[in-house]
Amino acid sequence: MNAIRQIAVVSLLNFKTLPQRFWQSLVIVAGMACVSGVLLSLLSVTEGMERAYRSTGDPRSIIIVSHGSDREDNSSVPRDQTRIIMNAPGIARASDGSALADSGFVTGIPVQSKKNGATVSARLITFGKMGVALRPSFHLVAGRMFRPGIHELIVGEVAQSKFKGIVVGNKVTMPDGQWPIVGMFATGDLLDGVLVGDTETVLQAMRHNSYNTVIARLTSSEAFPAFRMMLTHNPVLTVDVMRLSEWNARIGADNAAFFHALIYGVSIILAIGAMFGCFNTMYAAVEMRGREIATLMALGYGSFAIALSVILEASALSITGSLIGALTAWHLYDGVQSGMGWDFFRLTVSPAMFGMAVSWAIAVAILGGSLPSLRAARWTVAEALRAR
Amino acid sequence: MKYFPLIWAALRRKPTRTVVTFLSVTVAFTLFGLMIGLNATMDLMEQRAHADRIWSLARFETTGLPITVARQIAELPGIQKNSVMTYLQGYVGDPKNRAFVIFFDDKYGDIFPDQVPPQQADLIRHNRTAVIMNRAAAEALHKKVGDRFTIISPRTNRADGSKNWPLTIAGIYDDIPQFPGPMISGNYEYYDKSVPLSEQGKINEVDSLATDPALAPALAERIDSLFANSGNPTRSQTEKQLYSQGFGDIDAEALTRKIALIGLLMIVLLTANVIAQSVRERLGEFATLKTFGFSTTGLAGLVMAEAAFPCLLGALFGIALAKWLAVHLSTIMPPGTGIPAPTMTSAVFLWGLACASALTLASTLLPIMRLSRLDVAAALSRYA
Repeated sequence: MNAIRQIAVVSLLNFKTLPQRFWQSLVIVAGMACVSGVLLSLLSVTEGMERAYRSTGDPRSIIIVSHGSDREDNSSVPRDQTRIIMNAPGIARASDGSALADSGFVTGIPVQSKKNGATVSARLITFGKMGVALRPSFHLVAGRMFRPGIHELIVGEVAQSKFKGIVVGNKVTMPDGQWPIVGMFATGDLLDGVLVGDTETVLQAMRHNSYNTVIARLTSSEAFPAFRMMLTHNPVLTVDVMRLSEWNARIGADNAAFFHALIYGVSIILAIGAMFGCFNTMYAAVEMRGREIATLMALGYGSFAIALSVILEASALSITGSLIGALTAWHLYDGVQSGMGWDFFRLTVSPAMFGMAVSWAIAVAILGGSLPSLRAARWTVAEALRAR
Repeated sequence: MKYFPLIWAALRRKPTRTVVTFLSVTVAFTLFGLMIGLNATMDLMEQRAHADRIWSLARFETTGLPITVARQIAELPGIQKNSVMTYLQGYVGDPKNRAFVIFFDDKYGDIFPDQVPPQQADLIRHNRTAVIMNRAAAEALHKKVGDRFTIISPRTNRADGSKNWPLTIAGIYDDIPQFPGPMISGNYEYYDKSVPLSEQGKINEVDSLATDPALAPALAERIDSLFANSGNPTRSQTEKQLYSQGFGDIDAEALTRKIALIGLLMIVLLTANVIAQSVRERLGEFATLKTFGFSTTGLAGLVMAEAAFPCLLGALFGIALAKWLAVHLSTIMPPGTGIPAPTMTSAVFLWGLACASALTLASTLLPIMRLSRLDVAAALSRYA
């Protein structure tokens, strides 16, 4: 109990004298603000992207792709295989008795970006008969649904805002002519950034004969292992079966991994800089307060309490800076609409990332403050009283 | 030079402080070097892009193009020659080991002598199942010359119904800075004869050489209008146009500059504090010097020299460290990320030097102002 009281008293004394060391202490605060500001701003991109990929979550939803593919556009499921898949037991049935499964196709069509007028590729995906039924969050916001067999498309809310002229009433150039956009939809997830058309009609226009994926809903979440076993052990099929949530999360993590290496590399270098700043500041503080520390020691305060108080001061300053940086990143970027490739999502600074900023701050304070704190603890009373 | 002992004494007064200041400046300039070096690489990629090379792809990526398109393009006035290529996406062994192969024809070496060394391109000319790869690809797949391996392509079927592509490595060449990331190249004939009959004669890309670079952008438009109303619309751009487009929504060049700047801002506070503190501790000393007849400019020079030492030396060491890291980065980073290595051009060094000087000035400004207003009597009496 006594030790804790000592630490409390010494730390309190530290904080009370902090205004005298205002400019020096600012080095730690500003340094850590830079570190966590950069770290969280950059991570907001990957966090936003991963979050967008994670958001679809019905555990009964599954996806079937060709064996070994890591992207939808890298997968190819031939027609004869999709028939076997769709008739497999375990798939839920719609009210009319047909299987809740849909084979789909993804492709890109050239459009103009509103931002800089550059020609970019917009994602075009397709729905078959069950396309809408399999996506509960899908709803039309304007216009109407495309009619199967007719050259028509619908556009997602975000895609409409990102691409020039891709609005309801306008036409999109497809290989076999101009297709009108007849409706706008929203789902609240990554789908909002794409255009949607009828599967068979788009396949024909793109002169393609196989699908990319089959999406289905199972009768129950528990049916999944048996269902997967059945399909992957069928010698006629060469497919992978995955929960849709798992598949999406994996793609999101894959995309993010590329940037994480860069982000952490940059942030660690910055953090090393901040650590030196912390060391310098605390070292100067300990030297400045030599007489004060000696007095405390003469009064009977232990060197452990004094050493710990140095670390506590460094941590407090570092955490303050870190929170300033995190709040700045949050204020600037959280919720900002952004995009990467053909994924559109909102940048995210999550509470967990604030936690991360704080733990980085503590690590920097301990690494940078430990040597100065040892210096403080090792001071003998006589030596310290003589200092300066 | 006469005052060197004076500066040296000031630096040695608190050795720990001097060393730590030097180290933190080094760290800041390592980051600076890497970021501005990355920036330089992106500029270099843009500069080295050939203005006379036109890349034509299918306007709709999934349709592909028939090889006859290349012949029609070659007949256009202003086009010297062209080459075709097709892509194969797959993996080796485990789906995690992704592999991407471009299969090109005999003329590729004439069009892209800078992308693949010509003598390497010759290695696959007469050997159908041979491939060549850059070092990045060889390291990612753990392969050496002579090794055989199989690429499995989930998306592309072969005529015999399999998805396996057996290949032999005929050559490995050094990475080329403007084409970062793993690169594997094979023989188009092999690809074409392997796919089902209905897929034969299809290509992904036609690359043409214009006789006059100035006319290339117009030629690209000409190509697209030639095929606009055909069953195979194209999308053509000169390599220059392609490389100047940037990387989508995120402005990588601005981002690297911002990060470099934040690193410097972080460090300026530290150096400014260190110098201010050092001057504050030695006010008496400075007062004595002033009494001896040192002018304010003289004192300012001393303070600046004291700050310049860790700032300039730290900048030099930092950028040298960045240069070393840039060379070794590809071995540190996970293979196949395709992040270009920073290039330490002389411009990077000059910018570093300029920023280090600015850092010196910024961190001595306040202490010098304080010294210029120094009241000798007061300073000395406080010291006594």
